[in-house]
Amino acid sequence: MMVEALETEDIGVSDSQGRRRFLLDDTGFDEVPKKYRKFYRKWKGPGDSLAPNEVICPVCKVVIRSTRELRPGDRVYCMPCMSRLVVVRNEAGTLEAHVAY
Amino acid sequence: MAVRSTPVPTDIHDLDPQDFLEEVHSFEFWFQAVEGYLTGLSYGHKPDTLDTPLAEVDRDRLVTVLCNYCVGETAALEGASGLIAIAPNRLAKVFLSTQVADEGRHLEVFLHRLRDLGIKEPEAEVERRASRSLQLFKRRLLELVASKDWEAAIFAQNVILEALEFAVFHSHAQTADPITREVLLGVVKDERRHIGFGENELGRRLAIAPHIRARIGQVKKELDHLVLDTLEETMKHIGVARDEQDRLGRAYLESVERLGFA
Repeated sequence: MMVEALETEDIGVSDSQGRRRFLLDDTGFDEVPKKYRKFYRKWKGPGDSLAPNEVICPVCKVVIRSTRELRPGDRVYCMPCMSRLVVVRNEAGTLEAHVAY
Repeated sequence: MAVRSTPVPTDIHDLDPQDFLEEVHSFEFWFQAVEGYLTGLSYGHKPDTLDTPLAEVDRDRLVTVLCNYCVGETAALEGASGLIAIAPNRLAKVFLSTQVADEGRHLEVFLHRLRDLGIKEPEAEVERRASRSLQLFKRRLLELVASKDWEAAIFAQNVILEALEFAVFHSHAQTADPITREVLLGVVKDERRHIGFGENELGRRLAIAPHIRARIGQVKKELDHLVLDTLEETMKHIGVARDEQDRLGRAYLESVERLGFA
């Protein structure tokens, strides 16, 4: 799984549920207020891949990032399109986000 | 009702759902968001971006496309402003007020681009070149707004029209001249908020009032062919290949399908 070190750093710490934690850096995503920018990045298309703490917003296709490894059932927010989402595991075994109205 | 100051937790995804909505539907959020990508631009593009000379046939096609973009943006401007009065709560009213500002800006930058391309009277040119399908769509949208049908109007404007614009602008930006590309990419960033608001607002309404589904389905049936005709016409002018047209058609339908209207 490709993770760009400058954007997401796996700090190797597990929380009480045994999840890895990540330090997020600003990736230059400029569509939300500065204090929220590190939680989002652009999908770079074919060749790009998601880190364990990332999912794609199905509404606006922005990559949503968390400070912790994501698991099915987690709630995430897409601020660029203002969607509330729930992380699910799809048939291929990878994580994706579904809109929770 | 007092406006709450939203606390910022370590991870944004830990926010309470109501705090999230209060935050993203605020003027403060909107202002800081657009500041990030509009600061330093002039009419939607960097002042030092050089204009590329276009062949006459390409310039003429671009003028037609921009004229249709102006029709869509005018529809959204008039629709969003009319919807503020019938929005069911403060958060929706405040969000729509930010959308009105966005749509006004979009119309302005597209008209300005038309002037850049040598069109002396852009608004008259829009009247001359506007797609009949898009004009019919605009008329029907404004009828839904005037009839105070919140769900149907939000569906027509923030789901159908915005999804169409989001898909078309994004695709057009990939092949456009440098100035038009910058203008379009800025508009797409605004459109993310508009499509998200529409889908989530309607999704919430459908969840608590499933009986409105039949009415929305009827509106979809009525507007689908106008949208798909507009899409095909615009793609032809932009010069998009058939497979990309199909992809855009599917992209437009995705949000509609997520809401359960296949």
